[in-house]
Amino acid sequence: MKSILAALALTSALVAPSLAMARPVTLTTTLNTYGGDGAYLVLYVTDAQGAYAGTLWMAGGKSKYYEHLSDWYRATGGDLAQVDGITGASVGAGRSLKITLDLADALFDAGYTLHVDAAVEDMRDSPNDIAVPLTTAGAGKPAPGRRYVASLRYDM
Amino acid sequence: MKTLSIAVAALAVLPAAGAMAGDDCHVPRGAWQPRDAAMQAAAGLGWHVEKIEADDGCWEVKGRDAQGRRIKAKLDPATLQVVKLRHRDGQQVRERDRGNAPTVAPSAPSSNPLFQNGTPPVVRVN
Repeated sequence: MKSILAALALTSALVAPSLAMARPVTLTTTLNTYGGDGAYLVLYVTDAQGAYAGTLWMAGGKSKYYEHLSDWYRATGGDLAQVDGITGASVGAGRSLKITLDLADALFDAGYTLHVDAAVEDMRDSPNDIAVPLTTAGAGKPAPGRRYVASLRYDM
Repeated sequence: MKTLSIAVAALAVLPAAGAMAGDDCHVPRGAWQPRDAAMQAAAGLGWHVEKIEADDGCWEVKGRDAQGRRIKAKLDPATLQVVKLRHRDGQQVRERDRGNAPTVAPSAPSSNPLFQNGTPPVVRVN
């Protein structure tokens, strides 16, 4: 019974945003010049309870490396369906990844958090390199990352 | 039960197929040149090899080039031609894709519930 309730709660968290209106949002992730290969990045969202709500973009084409994006991997079990159709190339040091997408209004000012996990070959993994709450007040304000991410901002 | 078995068998095959799709070289195992031949090919390019291993269906070489710069390269395991060469400062030369490197990743409409209207994200790397 407990697991059914948990499944229902998760399903609601996933479905509820899709029922709301949307707005175009641009997510800009700028990397430090860390002096290594291109970084694998995954941008994903958790809800107010910290439960995984969905993935917005996976930068990095080889799924064998996804386990290094360890928070995301733990949350999804490495489920490739989560990144189906939203996967691109890894991002070079010092470069910016800019993603524009229609995001549900319900994700803002409702406790949702945008996370970026990062990993670079032969270098230390950086799960949750940055996490920012999704709020209308936070739009346009770059926030600093911990290791590979210099800054993350969202504009709408 | 038979249906379940077939489904389980199909699931077991999927990860392997996914790994193959990401390979940089597509050469049957029997057509591979041995590691020593790959070492010699790398040495013939003036490289100092620090590590060589099979990766993504290619021979992957890590070491330094004739100018002493750190490199990572992938060799086609049959022809030993350079498929990909990257200087570890991040500059990359992909022999097969030279002159054909889109900066915008293609993407298909997603069924992700966070997206609205199934509109695919527009992605740019600057």
